[in-house]
Amino acid sequence: MITHAVLCPSAPLLLPELAGADRDAAAVREATETALRWLVDARPDLVAVVGVADRTASWPAHARADITRYGLAAPSPAATAPPTVGLAALLLDRVGSQGRLALQTVRHDAVREQCLALAADLAALADRVGLVVVADGSARRTLKAPGYLDPRAEPYDAAVEAAVRAGQLDDLARLDPALAEELMAPGWAALQVLAGAFAGVRPQSTVRYAEAPFGVGYLVATLHR
Amino acid sequence: MTPGVLRLGRHAFGPTERLVMAIVNRTPDSFYDRGATWQEDAALQRVHEVVAAGAQIVDIGGVPAAPGSTVDVEEELRRTLPFVAAVRAAYPDVVISVDTWRHEVARELCAAGADLINDSWGGWDPQLATVAAQAGVALVCSHAGGLAPRTRPYRVTYDDVMADVLRHTLTLAERAVVAGVDPARIIIDPAHDFGKNTRHSLEVTRRLDEMVATGWPVLVSLSNKDFVGETLDAPLEERLVGTLAATSVAAWLGARIFRAHNVTQTRHTLDMVSAIRGDLQPVRSVRGLA
Repeated sequence: MITHAVLCPSAPLLLPELAGADRDAAAVREATETALRWLVDARPDLVAVVGVADRTASWPAHARADITRYGLAAPSPAATAPPTVGLAALLLDRVGSQGRLALQTVRHDAVREQCLALAADLAALADRVGLVVVADGSARRTLKAPGYLDPRAEPYDAAVEAAVRAGQLDDLARLDPALAEELMAPGWAALQVLAGAFAGVRPQSTVRYAEAPFGVGYLVATLHR
Repeated sequence: MTPGVLRLGRHAFGPTERLVMAIVNRTPDSFYDRGATWQEDAALQRVHEVVAAGAQIVDIGGVPAAPGSTVDVEEELRRTLPFVAAVRAAYPDVVISVDTWRHEVARELCAAGADLINDSWGGWDPQLATVAAQAGVALVCSHAGGLAPRTRPYRVTYDDVMADVLRHTLTLAERAVVAGVDPARIIIDPAHDFGKNTRHSLEVTRRLDEMVATGWPVLVSLSNKDFVGETLDAPLEERLVGTLAATSVAAWLGARIFRAHNVTQTRHTLDMVSAIRGDLQPVRSVRGLA
């Protein structure tokens, strides 16, 4: 059963060795690390990380994002995971996570039923599973955003935030995947997994960060039964 | 020879650290600042500014390089000795360089706290190395083409200017070692404009890697000099861009100390070169990483 969950983005600038001394990056990093530390401190039997990628697959537990691909001179990991789950795994390392880890990607265009089934599979991995859902908001939030401004971006991200804040995760089913794609909000499928993780219950939820300082919506939240 | 650690005062600087040596003149008539720091409070204010702007070294001089009114040992010390002591008291950690060719002056200034003797005149006074050894300080070994202090080049010729620079600076460096100067505290300097016409200075810039390849740390003093002015036909106040271009090239080729008037701009130039070379990370980097 999934008892605890963290929702977080997968911006490379969450890593200080990439971002350097940027205050806005530091703020979202601190919120994300605080949320992940909360998850680790809940001592789940296993931490499962799920994020979108070009295919649905599980990855070796020691695989990590290869940050040399962002231009940093650093050792490459022994095994490479896609950026979403690979980056979250790196952040988990940094908050002291040492227990069992499962890395799972979900195909970006998976349908809702597949996402719910995946949530059930992850829930079955241990008695108490802590889930990290990596889901970035729209990259079209501002004029300076990577995808330029789309006025529908802010309401879209706000709808995600409202559902998470209220613990009404069924509302996430109403998000339009085609619109999400237009808005460069790739986390749609991962959010459906989050909904499946708490199917039939209304989790306690704390939103720890909801801003778009670089024009990309970042939502950090912690949820538990 | 592989470049090693450079020791200045209590500091040790690695081969990829690019240091700014800020010029602080205690003269009423130096070519660029024209007496701006002739008053001691103005000079101390400049030290505050250049340290805040990222200079690791301040280079204090009491005699202009150009010919002009006589400055004897007594007058040079009157200009520099109390000031070196004041800077040392205000900044226990900053590297203090003294720009002098005279061993009598250097001895007093080292006793007052100087860490480095910057001899721009190519070892004209052979006792300077002995003073550096006795005081345990660093020494710049430069090439002035055999010119006497405060004289200008006049129809100077070289078969091969860089060969002459290497021969002279390496000889001085080896003599300094024999005199007892710590080899980690010896620096070589081609001395742009000193005993050189503009083409000579451009050539030593172009071939600076030959000096770097000796393994001795290389200092360059390019700031607003005539070789920049003539190359660009730029008056004194319009030489900064040319200076920084030469600074970039010298930094890329491996120079480690940059004597400069314009500290902030030089610091930025060196940090940019260091980042391009991969020796320094960007201060911040979020573009494309959101």
